[in-house]
Amino acid sequence: MSDIPSKEALSQKISRWLPSYQPTSRFRVHTDTSDFYQVDYDDVVILNNRPYLVRHNAREGRFGIDDEVKFWVKRAIDLEDGSRKIIKLVFYERFMSRIGDIEFECFRSPGKEARILKLVNGHKNFMHGQSVQDEKNNVIRILDFIQGKTLAAHVEDMAMDHETYYYEVFPDILKNFFECVQAIRLLHENGERHGDIRRDHILIDRESGNYRWIDFDFNYRHRENIYGYDLFGLGNILVFFTGMGDILLPDLRKKSHPWLDVLDDADLNIVFHNRVVNLRKLYPYIPESLNRVLMHFSTSANRFYERTDQLLNDLGEVRSAIGTASVPEGPER
Amino acid sequence: MTKEDKLFNKNILIAIDESDNSRRAVAYVGKFLGGLPGFKVTILHVIPEPEEDYFPTSAEKEKWLRQYQQKIDTLLEESRQHLIENGFSPDDVGVQSTLRYCPSMAECILSERDKTAYSTIVVGRQGISRSEEFLFGSISSKIVQYAKSCTVWVVE
Repeated sequence: MSDIPSKEALSQKISRWLPSYQPTSRFRVHTDTSDFYQVDYDDVVILNNRPYLVRHNAREGRFGIDDEVKFWVKRAIDLEDGSRKIIKLVFYERFMSRIGDIEFECFRSPGKEARILKLVNGHKNFMHGQSVQDEKNNVIRILDFIQGKTLAAHVEDMAMDHETYYYEVFPDILKNFFECVQAIRLLHENGERHGDIRRDHILIDRESGNYRWIDFDFNYRHRENIYGYDLFGLGNILVFFTGMGDILLPDLRKKSHPWLDVLDDADLNIVFHNRVVNLRKLYPYIPESLNRVLMHFSTSANRFYERTDQLLNDLGEVRSAIGTASVPEGPER
Repeated sequence: MTKEDKLFNKNILIAIDESDNSRRAVAYVGKFLGGLPGFKVTILHVIPEPEEDYFPTSAEKEKWLRQYQQKIDTLLEESRQHLIENGFSPDDVGVQSTLRYCPSMAECILSERDKTAYSTIVVGRQGISRSEEFLFGSISSKIVQYAKSCTVWVVE
């Protein structure tokens, strides 16, 4: 460990990033990150002899719930080159998760995320980074910071009617989503799952415009279909951006919306019984081929997707129907 | 052994887990075939090897496996005794547990069957909801879908 920079050298490096009134001598240096609560703002973490200045704990908000602080995820600056990083320290947790009335076991796995980072190195549809071990062999992931909005925010920020959205914006989102599904297929082909597929786990890279999957340290104990939960997540995202947001029964009821007269139980999400998936009933310009895909996620589905290939085949037909198939797919990497 | 023998022999494989449905499957075979000559039963439990990420340390994994194996040994022996009490000869009822990584439990069970000459597989229906089947799949449905050269009994 003789290559670790001296405290004086570190002090010099961090002075660039701290306000002038803040003393640069009061910081702690961590080479063991086992207790991630001890790794605080303006501390320095040394990983592979490289210093990183910790700025903030990351937060994650979802569905109107206040942001939750993720103490094991640090926003940081690489003090060698000044680049922004996300540093994920080791946090093992295992818990029962619930979707609707279904309970299943989830766990967080640093090792899984490290494996996937290696697998998707350079792939345009994933976040990038490397995993290193600290002095106590904790598997730390150092991720490149991605500037950009989540797909959820991108769709929610649309200020237009659905028909305009469908004809002017939707085809591009579908094209990018198709690539995202291909990216998940790559994981599945290599025996890996994303584990937490959600619309806020796709970031739209501001620089390249690429849609990129983030956060794959979650895992779940599967039962029969190893990839079923990932496919469910993909379906939810598809329904979400096809509808320019979720169409929720409680919202329609509040407004005594006339759509309530045409909807029945068969039109609802098979797991979330308050979400409408039969969107063609509401927006008749949605093609039958797309609606068929959506209906695979409805209570009236007779056949479920088990593999990404099946979903990609059907989405390929949709792209032909709405004319986006002519956009060259390009290599996956 | 000819193909005919393999299709129509009297060897039964009961694949069980810890569920009530599995107990019903064992009880059904006991009531249905107990006391009849010629039938041989193996009660199988495939231990799904947890993924390498599931345990923070290998020591925890080993501990979990030891405890799980003990629980399964008890379950298999209780099931065996149940069949004997219902008229099976002790020599005709065997138990087997095997530790495997199973992306698909149904495929693991079917591959165990392929190793031996069972013409009939018995499983309990899980009794899961459509939502649950959608999210996580159904072992019995998949066994019915993919089983070849054998008969499948799904016990409700």
